[in-house]
Amino acid sequence: MPATKYKFNPDSLSFDKIRLGIKTLLLRLFAYFIGSLIFALIYWIIFASFFDSPKEKALKREVEQMTIQYDLIHREMSNVETVLEDLQKTDDNLYRTIFDAEPIPSTLREGGIGGVNRYEALEGYNNSNLVIETANRLDKIRKKVYIQSKSFDDLIKLAVHKEEMLKSIPSIIPISNKDLTRTASGYGWRIHPYYRISKFHYGMDFTAPLGTDVYATGNGTIVEVLASQRGLGKHVIIDHGFGYKSIYAHLNNFNVRVGQKVQRGDIIGFVGSTGMSVANHLHYEIKLNGVNVDPVNYYFEDLNSAEYERIVEIAAKTGQSLD
Amino acid sequence: MLRNRKYVLDLSDLQYKQVRLPWKKKFLHILLWFAGSLVVATVYGTIIENMFGSPKEKLLSQQVENMKLQYTLIGRELDNSLATLKSLRLSDDKRYRPVLDMDSVPESFRKAGFGGIDRYSDLTGYLNSDLLIAYKSKIDEIKSMATVQKESFKTVAEKSLEWKKEMDHFPGISPVSVKFRLGDTFRWRTIHPVLGTSRMHNGQDFEVPYGTDVYATGDGSVIESGYNSGGFGNCIVIDHGYGLQTVYGHLSDIKVVKGQNVKRGDLIGISGSSGLSSGPHLHYQIEQFGSHKNPVNFFNNDVSSQEYNEMIQAFASKSQQR
Repeated sequence: MPATKYKFNPDSLSFDKIRLGIKTLLLRLFAYFIGSLIFALIYWIIFASFFDSPKEKALKREVEQMTIQYDLIHREMSNVETVLEDLQKTDDNLYRTIFDAEPIPSTLREGGIGGVNRYEALEGYNNSNLVIETANRLDKIRKKVYIQSKSFDDLIKLAVHKEEMLKSIPSIIPISNKDLTRTASGYGWRIHPYYRISKFHYGMDFTAPLGTDVYATGNGTIVEVLASQRGLGKHVIIDHGFGYKSIYAHLNNFNVRVGQKVQRGDIIGFVGSTGMSVANHLHYEIKLNGVNVDPVNYYFEDLNSAEYERIVEIAAKTGQSLD
Repeated sequence: MLRNRKYVLDLSDLQYKQVRLPWKKKFLHILLWFAGSLVVATVYGTIIENMFGSPKEKLLSQQVENMKLQYTLIGRELDNSLATLKSLRLSDDKRYRPVLDMDSVPESFRKAGFGGIDRYSDLTGYLNSDLLIAYKSKIDEIKSMATVQKESFKTVAEKSLEWKKEMDHFPGISPVSVKFRLGDTFRWRTIHPVLGTSRMHNGQDFEVPYGTDVYATGDGSVIESGYNSGGFGNCIVIDHGYGLQTVYGHLSDIKVVKGQNVKRGDLIGISGSSGLSSGPHLHYQIEQFGSHKNPVNFFNNDVSSQEYNEMIQAFASKSQQR
């Protein structure tokens, strides 16, 4: 037990016992607490300015690494952008060289199918979603309307032979063309590869490597399998009935015989460059009652509205045909 | 000062003695006090850090979040680049290469120098390692794709020029305006109009009046020009390269000399009836690697004379530009 402490009182000239009241004690405790806080703060400031906590160290390292890598990626990205610009120019030049046409605009190229916001103009209104959805639906309907807008005769025929007719009318793309990059030249006035003048191109050209499968676009009977060296080269003609015939030209080889019945999607031959053709491609024609029609109107079976719009756009380009 | 002095009652001699701490003890006191304050400070620090995190930490975390945002932003650019590269690749593989009869670049080559687990080992062990590696590998993928694409386009470009050249050299048009009737065709002739014997007709006759312009059907060089004793009379032979030669016979006049380079659509001669000929006509024949080909397979027959003239004029203006 510590010895009792006294204090000299100069007024009474006596030694008084030092007594600590509860108030003084509390005050002192509080002072200690504040003091400790201040000290803690001072320590902390000193410590923090010299050392980092492990957590801080990890974070610092993280930020450093992230910054370094970001700068690297950023620098590389600007390099890549230059390279990409170059590549796009090359691409455009190649397109000009090979197809003799202005390249497909980059919005089409970058956007891809469905990528471009085709309804951007409609955004920003209160009922945007509704409007867009409606416009979207309208687009789809527009395509479907095609079948319905056919002539009355067709409708009557359709009523009678509906199922058979729907299976027979050529209505798919004759080669696998899901990415829609194969379309080289559409129906209409196109630059002839040798004459270098505008000639009417009665079909649609699809670029494809030698030996690519060519499909029957509707049910029908093979009426011609001819290896004429002239014009169409090795070609197949299918009679679909209902006045429709489809022609597949410049084939490398056949997969059908005359008189054979084929179903939509059957492989009838393989892509080549026979006859008047400057490159491997498929020349595809549709004839309705002996008159050529634009095949682009006949792909309603396997394309969605965006793809359909895109193929129409590509096919409309006035480039060079390949035959 | 007197007031603050503390005294202790010494029981042995009942005297009040001033409490004097030796400096050693004083020092010890201060040390103890200091140690105590350290302990208390640590306790405070631990509690605060655990509950709130230090301001510095907060700042750093904020910075990490900022970086993440930056990454997201650049990620969008990366994705755009990837999309561009993919579309470039599509037009390469699906548009150009099929036309030029080239095989597409094999997947293994496209992915060359890519992959490998240890590539990004220096990026492991961070809080956001996954993020860093994802972005790093994406930019690497883009870089390698771009490199491959560049190489690929280079070969395609070379091939396309080659292809264009070959197309220019191909005898792809009719040597005279096709308004004229096609005469005797490529066939086994039972009676030769002059000789009267049976003989192969190796070419295509065009029934054109005396003095009709005859044009080169493709780019090439004249390897023969002059009178041919074999029956073609005044005759021109053009070598188009790629194993193709064209012969223009029975001319009345020759406008080119041996060794001269000609372009498609160049006026090379005037038709006539020289040599073994029963009347004015142009004899046109095509040889491919030494064997005779039917010329009608080499040109479109449905070009009107107006279109033909347009074409010749276009070729002429193009020649002048060169």
